[in-house]
Parts: sequence; structure tokens; C-alpha cells
Amino acid sequence: MKTDMNQAAIEIKALNYAYGRAEAVHDFNLTVPAGRCYGLLGRNGAGKTTVMKCLLNLLRPRGGTVRVLGLDPAKDEVEVKRRLAYVPDAVAFYPWMTVRETLDYLASFRAHWNREVERDLVGRFRLDAAQTTGALSKGQRTQVALIAAICPEPELLLLDEPTSGLDPIVRREFIETVIGAYQEGEPGRRTILVSTHLIAEFEGLIDEFTLMDRGRNVLTLGADQARERYQRIRARFPQAAPAVEFKGALDVRRNGRELELIANGGGPLILEQLRALAPESLTSEALTLEEVFVATLK
Amino acid sequence: MLLQINFKSGTPVYLQVVDQVKAAAAAGALQAGESLPSIRPLAEELRVNRNTIAKAYTELESQGVIETLPGKGCFLKPNHSPLKKEVRRKLLTEEIDQAVVKAHHLQVPAGEFLELVRERLEVMDEKRRASERSPRPA
Repeated sequence: MKTDMNQAAIEIKALNYAYGRAEAVHDFNLTVPAGRCYGLLGRNGAGKTTVMKCLLNLLRPRGGTVRVLGLDPAKDEVEVKRRLAYVPDAVAFYPWMTVRETLDYLASFRAHWNREVERDLVGRFRLDAAQTTGALSKGQRTQVALIAAICPEPELLLLDEPTSGLDPIVRREFIETVIGAYQEGEPGRRTILVSTHLIAEFEGLIDEFTLMDRGRNVLTLGADQARERYQRIRARFPQAAPAVEFKGALDVRRNGRELELIANGGGPLILEQLRALAPESLTSEALTLEEVFVATLK
Repeated sequence: MLLQINFKSGTPVYLQVVDQVKAAAAAGALQAGESLPSIRPLAEELRVNRNTIAKAYTELESQGVIETLPGKGCFLKPNHSPLKKEVRRKLLTEEIDQAVVKAHHLQVPAGEFLELVRERLEVMDEKRRASERSPRPA
């Protein structure tokens, strides 16, 4: 069964989930087009992992629909799991198995396994195939999990907080591997959904994102559009900064002659308005995705 | 040619790549017939989505700056501006307008601005001459 290029890789509609009485996800919608690298961003406890688990049929939604590659994970669990791979934040292997045995064991569940990619990545991560996984560091365990996720060359890669708790070098290698080894094959048929609160390091990778807070979808936007829409504007005046209202301005700060604000979409108009007030200097810069995250959720 | 992505510029990432390749060509850092890095290593190096680099290269190709030779990679085209003069002028005008607005914000007067433009032209020219004198080893 091949994926239709126009079909979304993930389609979630009005998803609801609660742990007992504690509501975790509320009327949540998400569409991830095929071929995209999609960021699911949110604070700890925002509901990101719950969404991931509903995609994997590890949790049964209380309401709403979930489609993965056009299939219902509750009905077609085997087929869905055959076509995706998942890297959780806490990776667990049988500690007595060696890296070699672990990869062979995981490969045995897969119809397809790219040995060449496996060799390449084991070498790149400088892993010792004869070492038992119980003796690996957290970073190395994540690397083994990433190899196991990439070698089947799945259509969909789910990464749940994959780099939290890893050192900067391992994080870098992780992201380079996702870009290089995973995205390389069949563009348009390699979709990534990554949930993270470590946004800065995924900034270049994410081309569209959903910001999630307390189980709800707060903002869905293209990464380039977000950086165009959210601007930090700074102005300095010869006298005290005027106490003027700015439409659509978030987080206005005044300090003597200086004024700083974040524009949400109204950047050009606010700049115009400020220019008319004859500032000594006026600058604007785009917000990074991490800053958009903070400005939206603060 | 070393590229650098600035997420604070507000310019879409793929356009930053397009602009920088064009700037490298204008400055002589990239010369006609020289190859561009292929998509995968460049994406890995900049740690940006592979699709972003692919989109930038498609754009550069449609603008006639580079050409793709199947199985060999992407190369800078000789005399790489097939655009009509008015179109080229229009594209440049947009960029100049931005600089003019910025100069106004920074309170750089017109005379000083023009002087700066002349100075930059000379710097670029010097860079080009230097790289022509000592072509980089292939």
C-alpha cells in the first residue's frame, strides 16, 4: 500500500484524552502533510506525549479521530507500526543484549532493514557493537534507538523529546542524522513529527509547527511565516519614550528613552507609527521559534 | 563558499541560501563552473531541513544561477543572469530600498550612504580580483 502524496501523514481531529479526571488533551486538531518536518512544541505537561501515544495506539482517545498514513491506529495497529518508527525520550533495551544483538532483534520485527545505513551510523556514532546495552550511556542508548528507527526507512518518524538530557555533541549528531540519513531517501515520503521544548536546536529542521498548551492547540504556523510575523522592535527617543498604545503589540517594555515591544503581525504598521514619533534609532528583528514560544505562552 | 543562516533576519531560510549563493557568485567566492555542495552535506552542516536546501537550489536553478548535471551535481552557470535588464534592475531596486530605509533609521545621510555604497563596490571588486589571481585548488 503506497501513500497518496496528497494525503496527510497525520490527521487528528477533536482529540480528547484524560488520565482519570485530569484532562490532558482537549479538542486537539493537527494535520501533518506528508514530507514535512513538523514540530509539536509545548512546555512539560502540555500534552505532547499523550498525542504521540494516541498516534501509536498506546492510549485510546476518549473522543475524536486519529489517522496515521490514512489508517486508524486502533484498527490497523500492525500496518501503522510497520510504516512508522518511534524514538521515545526514555529508551529501554534488554540490558544483557549487545548493541549487535539489539539491532538484530529489532530488525527481526521489520520487513525491511537497510544494513548499509546501519553500518554507516554505528561507525558514525562510534558505537561498540560488542558492548551490552546496559553498559551504554543515555546518549548512546538514544543513538541505538535512532539507528533502529532509521534503518527500516519508515514513511513516518515520530520523535518524542528525543534530545532531552543529552549532551550538546550527541544532540548535534542526532539532528544531523535525522537530516542526513533519514531525509535523504524519497523526498515527499519521509515525514517527521518531533515533539520538543528544546526548540532552538530544531529551529532549522522544523518547517511547520503547532504550539500546544494545557492540551490545546494554541498556534499552528509555518516556521518562516512565524519569523516573519513576530518581530522584536526597539526604539530610542531623544526624550522619554512616548506612552502610546500599539495595536497588536505584545510585551511592551519602556525604560526611560527606550522602548521595546514584540509585534504579532502588525510589525510594519507599528514601525510606521514609531517612525512618525521621530526616534533616534529604530530597529527590528525576527523572533526565533523559541522566542515565539515564550512570547505566546508567557 | 561558507553559508550562514540567521533565524533573526526574518528572511525565509531558503531565500537566505539563495541570496548567499548569489552574493558568493558576485564576490567571486564561487566561480562559473565551480560546483556547489550537494544537498545532504549542506543541510547537515547548516542543520536545516533538507527540503529547505532543495527548495533553494530549485529557486537558483529557475533563476538561471546554477545548473544541475544529472549524477554530477550543481554548478554555477557562466554569465548567470538570463533575466532582462528591467527585471534585474527591479530586483535590485527592492534591495536598495531596504538599505535606504535602514540608512534612514540609522540616520545615515544620503551623501554618506552613497559613499558607503561606492566603498562596498570597491571591496567586492577587490575580492573578485584577488580570487581571480589565485584560483582555489579544485
